[in-house]
Amino acid sequence: MSESRPAPGGPLGTVADEILVERAVDGDLTAFEALVHRHGPLMRAYTSRIVGSQTEADDVVQEALTIAWRRLPSLREPSAVRAWLMRIASRQAFTHLGKRASDVPLAALDHALPADTQPENVAVRNAQLEALSVALDNLGTDLRRCWLLREVAGLSYDEIAGEMQLPASTVRGKLARARVSIYAQMEGWR
Amino acid sequence: MTNLASIPLECGKTLDELSDYLAADRIPYDPHVETCPDCLNALTALARLAELSRDLISHDAEQLPPAPENWLRTILASIRDEIRAGRSLPIHHADPRARITVTEGAVRALIRSAGDDIDGLVIGKCEFVGDVEQPGAAVEVNVGASIAWGRPFAELYTPLRELIYDLLHRHTELNVTSVNVTIEDIHGFDPALSGHVPS
Repeated sequence: MSESRPAPGGPLGTVADEILVERAVDGDLTAFEALVHRHGPLMRAYTSRIVGSQTEADDVVQEALTIAWRRLPSLREPSAVRAWLMRIASRQAFTHLGKRASDVPLAALDHALPADTQPENVAVRNAQLEALSVALDNLGTDLRRCWLLREVAGLSYDEIAGEMQLPASTVRGKLARARVSIYAQMEGWR
Repeated sequence: MTNLASIPLECGKTLDELSDYLAADRIPYDPHVETCPDCLNALTALARLAELSRDLISHDAEQLPPAPENWLRTILASIRDEIRAGRSLPIHHADPRARITVTEGAVRALIRSAGDDIDGLVIGKCEFVGDVEQPGAAVEVNVGASIAWGRPFAELYTPLRELIYDLLHRHTELNVTSVNVTIEDIHGFDPALSGHVPS
């Protein structure tokens, strides 16, 4: 984990999500903190790819986690908390984008790949991830967001349409284009 | 390797159709797709791309610089005001003008803290079933727990139940009719202790 404080030590770091969720529902802040340590980095990384800026993503994830705490008692499947958190992060990311006055082009934001993912330094696997990263960047904002919502957060077409405020048929079309584009760009890696 | 020129594939299927089929966990069974080499290749590639997308975000997460110093503190500070206290359990006092209560949340915290101190146990949920606000009403206590791998449950069950009875007796006036403990999970699996490595 790469958070600013060490992960809570002891058994709380090793118990199942379900136990942590139950404790957090009962009001245990330490258990919630353990959930944040476990799933926060993925939420931050995912949201950064959606909004195009790590600084903004960190604000979005903060809001998402505050909301998650409040709504935890309504979570039906505590073992599925990760997917649930990713959905809340998706929702908050789009709420945030809606508030942004005009959609700032990605290049103007601080999104940058960590230096050590440069293909010359790393193994085939990382080069493959780098290729996908480039393919995603080439997609354009909307197509990339559709793809991430679908494949990373696991949202349905209708849910994506709801978040992006687009007709479901448009989402279907965008996903189809994203798929063909990534499929073609990744041809050498398949 | 599937050729890009075959989108839609030579057999006539499109990536869209195959992607939908994949999303539906390949149900209902499509006899064409499942026997067509082009379709099967494309299905594998699509599944791989979806998996790779999730891997990419996981990889990002590992490479991510730590969140700013006050990031977590801000979250915890903002939710600390929304602590779930639950119902109020009345405590009898000789002075009828005094109204003393202890919150459900406080009693749960007590049980968690004492239960966690038993080596090999981590307490999960803790619920009081019954009208806890009514003095003398029958109350059932349900506690969930995770047990350390390799520890016999029987060894921990009795101390935990006794501990809970004792805590509730000392700190509340609940009429506890039963304490039910459910082991919900096992944590800390260590192959070195098990003598064999899971396959």
